Amino acid sequence: MVRVGMISFAHLHAHSYASCLKRLPDAQLVGIADEDTQRAMEMAERHDAKAMSLDELLASDVQAVIVCSENVRHREHVVAAAQAGKHVMCEKPLCISVADGEAMIEACRKAKVQLATAFPCRFSTPIQRLKAVCEAGDLGKLLAIKGTNHGRYPGGWFGERELSGGGAVTDHTVHVADLMRWFLKSEASRVYAETDRLFHPELKVEDCGTLTIEFESGAFASLDPSWSRLNAYPFWGDVTMTVVGTQGTAMVDAFNQKMTVYGEKQNHGDWYFWGSDLDLGLVADFLDAVDQNRTPSATGEDGLRASEVTLAAYQSVEMGRPVTIQELRKT
Amino acid sequence: MHKVGIIGCGGMGRGHAGNLSAIPGVEVVATTDKNPAAAEALAKVYGAKVYADTPSLLDTAPVDIVAICTPTDVHAEVAIAAAKNGKQILVEKPLARTLEQADQVIAAVEKVGVRMLVGHVLRFFPEYVTAKGLLDGGQIGRPAVCRTTRASHHPRGSDDWFADYEKSGGVVLDMLIHDFDLVRWYFGEVERVYCRGLAYAGLDHIDYALITLRHASKVITHVEASWALPAGNFMTKLEIAGDEGLLDFNNESSVPLKVLRKQTGDELAPGVIVPESPVAKSPYRLEDEHFISCLDSGAPFAVSPQDARAALAIGLAALESERTGQPVRPG
Repeated sequence: MVRVGMISFAHLHAHSYASCLKRLPDAQLVGIADEDTQRAMEMAERHDAKAMSLDELLASDVQAVIVCSENVRHREHVVAAAQAGKHVMCEKPLCISVADGEAMIEACRKAKVQLATAFPCRFSTPIQRLKAVCEAGDLGKLLAIKGTNHGRYPGGWFGERELSGGGAVTDHTVHVADLMRWFLKSEASRVYAETDRLFHPELKVEDCGTLTIEFESGAFASLDPSWSRLNAYPFWGDVTMTVVGTQGTAMVDAFNQKMTVYGEKQNHGDWYFWGSDLDLGLVADFLDAVDQNRTPSATGEDGLRASEVTLAAYQSVEMGRPVTIQELRKT
Repeated sequence: MHKVGIIGCGGMGRGHAGNLSAIPGVEVVATTDKNPAAAEALAKVYGAKVYADTPSLLDTAPVDIVAICTPTDVHAEVAIAAAKNGKQILVEKPLARTLEQADQVIAAVEKVGVRMLVGHVLRFFPEYVTAKGLLDGGQIGRPAVCRTTRASHHPRGSDDWFADYEKSGGVVLDMLIHDFDLVRWYFGEVERVYCRGLAYAGLDHIDYALITLRHASKVITHVEASWALPAGNFMTKLEIAGDEGLLDFNNESSVPLKVLRKQTGDELAPGVIVPESPVAKSPYRLEDEHFISCLDSGAPFAVSPQDARAALAIGLAALESERTGQPVRPG
């Protein structure tokens, strides 16, 4: 039995993780800390846990915490948890600067606790199946990947740079950037991006763009992280990749196991996902990593490497040219 | 009455011969090809006369129109010679292999006063025309992010000329030229092109490219081009997200007819699936009818020589970006 605490429900994924903890027999959600004390109490009641202050939670006997605070607070919460000797799973994106990511990794290393980055797409069954196809060599040498992680502007703090660190590129680059690294077994080396605010001009952050990413292996990729789905779109989730190899091409649409429903009330179609639960696999892996004191599926380093793609994209837009990851680390 | 000479009797030459000869008052009377057997086979179908080479056809054949369907790198010299001979010109895309060639062709055509239509046939595809109407009608508001895909196996022309990228320009110049013309038609001039691809990778019959275009109108277009699919596959996709809606099209899902046939003999042998999207008149037929009707009426062509030059400029900028790894402004 792993005793778990949750720090903040600012990110909506916290609800799913809490429900996973309830469903997993080897886990117990003990306490919930949230800056918003009202929210902490509501969530504690909903998920049969105790509302606590952050200090109380970190002083308690929980072995692990899941951090779902606003992006800019990840560092503070992860470092505090590590210093209290708790294993940590942090919501993506892990960090909004290289320094933040390095500080989190270092704090966890020093405290000898595991740091996991929440990359649930690694637990998508269609993605895992494609990974196996690639590993078996069915596509030959991998040459290029076209990826998308389209979304809908989530509202709230996602549009406030002081809390999110950035817009659609911050929100929606890291999932697929991580998958690309995972598939290619290679690190990103150079990034070019075009971004803009074209869907929600009232925001102070970008809401669309396209990234082009080169990898050390010589492969290249593009990624569309745009919040380009409006309310009329029957949106549920979007993670797609076209993987091109010397022996073939594969296309995966991770959320395409869905039922289409045309409800008179909605005035548009809706999609209902019936595929396997990604988050359940993610949380189970983290708990097992804590229990066995092993490396989780996606580590802090994985989180940082994926975030570097985001940060290089911003630098590319600023400079109007491709930016290398090496350059990024120097700035 | 129009009399047509077909220069280059490969796939496109055969197609134009069929479509033009089906128009009342139009006759295919002359053919020529580097491969005499191809010219003879086509001439036989329409009762036309075979000419030994392009100069003899242009000098002596009783034609007022030529359809130029040679490899890309000789379009310019043939078109210039045809203009000097006072022929009306239907030339396959791309207009030429270089901008210098394109400018020379346009100058020759203007000097003599003949007319020239370049085969940017997407302008006659009902799905793309429908999208244009929706855009112009404001159904999706202001367009923001566009994504297109055009993917097939690597074509094998006569003497395998498509595989010689000095001649064909690879998938970017030969196939994506369609999409470049299309998105310029939709969203206006392109200011920046960034391209990563395989044209210079030295692979055997594989080309693939991922391209980001930035339009002066702010629209971000992402274009995928593949000559990496197994033979027998052809895929096109279009998605345009605007601030008030999204439209998408996918040729694999827009299939109103599928014929699933058993193989004769063996009941358990895998069958053959032939998807079809039948239309009253093929886009190629519509293009050729448009060509003839504009010649007769004096109305302007849907695609001007300058439009064709602009599409070529985007394609060449993409190749330049692919070579240098830097964003390039089309010439």
